Amino acid sequence: MNNFYTTFENFSKKVLNELTGDESLTLTLSAENTFFSRISNAKIRQITNLHQAFVEYKFIKGNKTLSFNLPFIGNDENFLMVLEKIKESRIWIDRLPEDPYLVRPAFFGITKDINDNQLPSNDEMLTNVLDFSGHLDLAGAFSSGDIVRATINSVGQFHWFKTKNYYLDYSLYNNQQKAVKALFAGVNWNAEALKLNLTDSESKLALMNRVSKKIEPGQYRAFLAPSAVSELLGIMNWGGVSMGEHQRGNGSFKDLWENKKRLSPKFSLAEDFSLGMSPRFNDLGEIAESLMPVITKGEFKNFLTSTRTANEYKVETKFSLDSEGMRSPVVATGSLVRENILKELGTGLYISDLHYLSWSDRETARVTGMTRYACFWVENGEIVSPIQDLRFDESLYNIFGSELIDLTNYAETITNTGSYFEREVGGSKTPGILISNFKFTL
Amino acid sequence: MSTLKKLLSSLNIEADYISLRSFHSKTANISVRNEILEGLSSSEDNGLMIEVMIGGQIAYGATNSFELSEVKRCAEKAKQSALLAKKFGLFNFSQNIRPRAIGEYQSPTKQGLAFFSPANLTDLLTDISRAMKIHDHIISRTANFSLTETQTHLVATNGSDIIQNITRSSIGMSATAASSKGTQKRTFGDEQSTQIGLERIDIAKLNIAAIKIASEALALLEAEECPNSTMDLILAPDQMFLQIHESIGHPLELDRILGDERNYAGWSFVKPSDFGSLQYGSKLMNVTFDPTVSGQNASYYADDTGAIATREYLIKDGLLVRGLGSLESQERLNLPGVSSQRSASWNRAPIDRMGNVNLEPGQSSFEEILGSVERGVMMQTTRAWSIDDYRNKFQFGCEYAQLIENGKLTKLVKNPNYRGITAPFWNQLKMVGDKNSYQVGGLTNCGKGEPNQIMYVGHASPVCLFSNIEVFGGGK
Repeated sequence: MNNFYTTFENFSKKVLNELTGDESLTLTLSAENTFFSRISNAKIRQITNLHQAFVEYKFIKGNKTLSFNLPFIGNDENFLMVLEKIKESRIWIDRLPEDPYLVRPAFFGITKDINDNQLPSNDEMLTNVLDFSGHLDLAGAFSSGDIVRATINSVGQFHWFKTKNYYLDYSLYNNQQKAVKALFAGVNWNAEALKLNLTDSESKLALMNRVSKKIEPGQYRAFLAPSAVSELLGIMNWGGVSMGEHQRGNGSFKDLWENKKRLSPKFSLAEDFSLGMSPRFNDLGEIAESLMPVITKGEFKNFLTSTRTANEYKVETKFSLDSEGMRSPVVATGSLVRENILKELGTGLYISDLHYLSWSDRETARVTGMTRYACFWVENGEIVSPIQDLRFDESLYNIFGSELIDLTNYAETITNTGSYFEREVGGSKTPGILISNFKFTL
Repeated sequence: MSTLKKLLSSLNIEADYISLRSFHSKTANISVRNEILEGLSSSEDNGLMIEVMIGGQIAYGATNSFELSEVKRCAEKAKQSALLAKKFGLFNFSQNIRPRAIGEYQSPTKQGLAFFSPANLTDLLTDISRAMKIHDHIISRTANFSLTETQTHLVATNGSDIIQNITRSSIGMSATAASSKGTQKRTFGDEQSTQIGLERIDIAKLNIAAIKIASEALALLEAEECPNSTMDLILAPDQMFLQIHESIGHPLELDRILGDERNYAGWSFVKPSDFGSLQYGSKLMNVTFDPTVSGQNASYYADDTGAIATREYLIKDGLLVRGLGSLESQERLNLPGVSSQRSASWNRAPIDRMGNVNLEPGQSSFEEILGSVERGVMMQTTRAWSIDDYRNKFQFGCEYAQLIENGKLTKLVKNPNYRGITAPFWNQLKMVGDKNSYQVGGLTNCGKGEPNQIMYVGHASPVCLFSNIEVFGGGK
C-alpha cells in the first residue's frame, strides 16, 4: 500500500475531470491489507491473506442523487468501469425525483493522518502468539495489517487516514468449558507485553476452576466490568443515540431526549475523537467536533446527527455517519478504585462480559442479553465461585440512572475488532460500573 | 478454456491442491420513506479467493485483482501460510475434504438486474409508502427493494469446475405509529428474501400488505401489554424462521460444536455424542437441510469447497441425527454432516453455515391448532432476539400478538415477548401446521465467524403450537 495515496489521488482527479455541468461527486475509499488467522486450541484453524479496496461514489446532478460502489484497482480498466457507471447514473438519475434533503459536497479541508509504524512480519507475530499460548486452550482471532479510509470530492476536499495495527481477540478455556476473555491490541508489537497479557488471563482462568453456582432469577447488586459496559454502549448504536431514529419514532432514549427522564448525575457519555482510533471525517468528508457530549451528568445533550437528518428535521448537523452511531464513545470515570470493587459490591454478581444484546422494549430502553465468560458470585467482598450464565432484562434508565452507585476511577480502551465486510476502525473507552439492582430473568 | 482455468494453470506453485474461486456480484437497492426517495445505490464486487493445501493444511489468499502477477503473489502468500500451519496446524486433513465435482446451478429467477428500473421502482415504493398513510399517527412509512446477482466459479487442480448463478431479491416495508400512548412498528417482508427477481412484484398484494401493517401498527397503540404468564404459544411462520435459525441452525453447526467459534458467536450445548441419541424436540419435529427447494434463499448445487449438496434430515421425529458441518468438520468429528461450507464473498474463507434449514409440515390445520388452545397467545413477526453462546437460554420479541381464549383469537396485545431454553422448548412442541400454513422464507443477515461474515440462509415452517411457555410484555 506504499503508493496507494498517489494512486487514489490521481485516479480520483481523473474521474472528477469527467464531470460536466451541474454534476458533483464524492469518492470514499476503504482499503486494507489484512492477515487473518482463526485460532482454536491455540492452533491454526484458517489463515487468510487479504488485499481489498473499494470506492463508493456519491453522484449528484442538479438536485438529484444516487450512489454506486466498485472495487478499486486504480488501473485503466478500472477507470473505464467507473466511466460506464457514471454514464448509467446519468440515465438513471434523469428519471428520479429531486431529493429535498440533499447533502452536497463541501470543503472541509485537506488532511493526512498516517500511522506508519513498523510491525514484525505476520508470521513472526502469529508464531509468538502460538508459542506463548501452546500450553493453553486458546480460541480466537489474530489479525494485523494496514487499513485506509479516505475521501475526496469535486470541490477539492481530500482526507486520508491510514493505520497499521494488530489485535489478538481471544478467550482461554479450562477443562470445564469455563472461559476468560481478553484482547491484546495496538500499533506497536511487544512480545513481552503479549506474554504478560496471556499470563494475566491464565491466572484469571484459575478462578474459573471452582464449581459454578446456579443463580436463581431475581434482582442482584452487580459490578459490570468495562468490557460489559462497552457492550451496553454498543446497543446504544442501534437507535439509542441517533437523532434520525428518534425523529422517526424508533429511538430508545425518547424520554431522556424530551427531558421527561434523566440518568444518574454520575453518568456522562461523549463522542471523543481524542481517543485517536477513528478518523473524524465521515463518508462525505465532513469533520465532526473532536468532542461532543451526548449525555452530561445524566442529562441529554446531543444525539448523533448526520447532515441529511439535519436537513430533513431542521436540526443542527453533527457531521455524524449516515448510521448515526458513535465511532469513539467515552464514558466519564467515577470514584470507585480498583482495589475496592469487591468490597463495595459486597454480596452480588461480578460481571466481566455481556453477550448478544437486544432491545426488549425500546420505549423504556429495556435491554436483554446474557452474561458471558468470567462472571462470579461474590459474598461479603470475596469471590465465592463462577456462575452459570444468566439472562438479564433491564432498562438503561436503571443501569445508568436510578440504580447506578458509582463508576470506577479508571477506564479501559477497547479496540473495535469487528470485521464484517472490512476490518473496522474505532473503539471505546469506559469505566466499570457498580449498580444496586440488576434484573435477571432466566 | 475459462479465465480461471488459465489463471490456475499459470500459477506454477507446488502444492497438494489449489483452487480458485471467483465471486462476482452486482446489487441494486432502492428505498423510499414517507413518499420521498431516500436512496438509490448499486454496487459491484469482483474478486478471487485462492486456496492452497499442503501437507494436510489449507490457507487462503484473496484479492480483487485478476492480474496474473497479483494472483501469483496471493497464491504464494497462501502457500507460505499453509507451511506455517504445518507447524501449528489444528488438524491434518486428508484430500477427501476436496472431492472432484463438475456442475452448474442457475436460480429460477426470471427478471434480474436487466429489468431493474429505478423510475418504476421509485413509483411503486412511493405508492406503497402512500398506502400506509392512513392516519396522522403513522409517522414513518418505509418501503425498499433489493436485488442481487452473483456468479461464483470454482476451479481446482483436482478437476473441479462449478459455476453457480444466483439472483435473489427482497421487498420490505414498515409502518411506525406514534401517539401519546407510545410507539409501535409493524414490518412486512424482511424474512422473505428468495431466489426470485422482479417477477415477485405483485402491486395489489403489496398494497394490501401496506394497509394491513399500517392498520395493525395503529391498533397496537391502543392495545394492552402482553400479559406476564405461562401459557400456550402459537408462532406464525415469520417468527418460526427466527426460532429455527437461532435454536436449531446455530447449535447444530459442527464448527461451533468443535469449539472453533467459541471466542465470537459461541459454541453449542450439543455434544458430538448427542447425534443419534438426543431427543431434541417432540416427535412432531422434523427438520431438514434442503438445498433442493426451488427458489429458496440458500438452494445451490455445491458449497464453496465444491462439495455437492443434498437434502438430509437433521432432526427426525424429534431425534437429533445430523449436524450442519462441512467435510472438514465431518473428518475432524467422524460424524455425518452436510455440504454447507460457505463464504460471504471472495474475501472470506468458507466456514460451516446453515443453508436452507426447514421445519417440515405436519398434519394439523391452523383451525385445529387454534381450536385446541384454551388459553394462550399467538405471536407474529420478529422484533428482537437474544440467545446465549451455547444456544440455550433465549428471549425473543415479536411485533404483533393476539390472545387466544377458548379456541378463538381475541384481544390484541402489544410488546409480546417469550423466553425459554432450547431443548425443553422444542420438546413442548405440541402441534405442527400442515402444508396450508407452510411458508418459505429466508434471512440475509446471519452473522458469524472470525473474520466476521454475513450470510444468506433459507428457512421454511408452518404455524406451530408450543405448550406452557413463559410470555411477557414490555414496560419497566
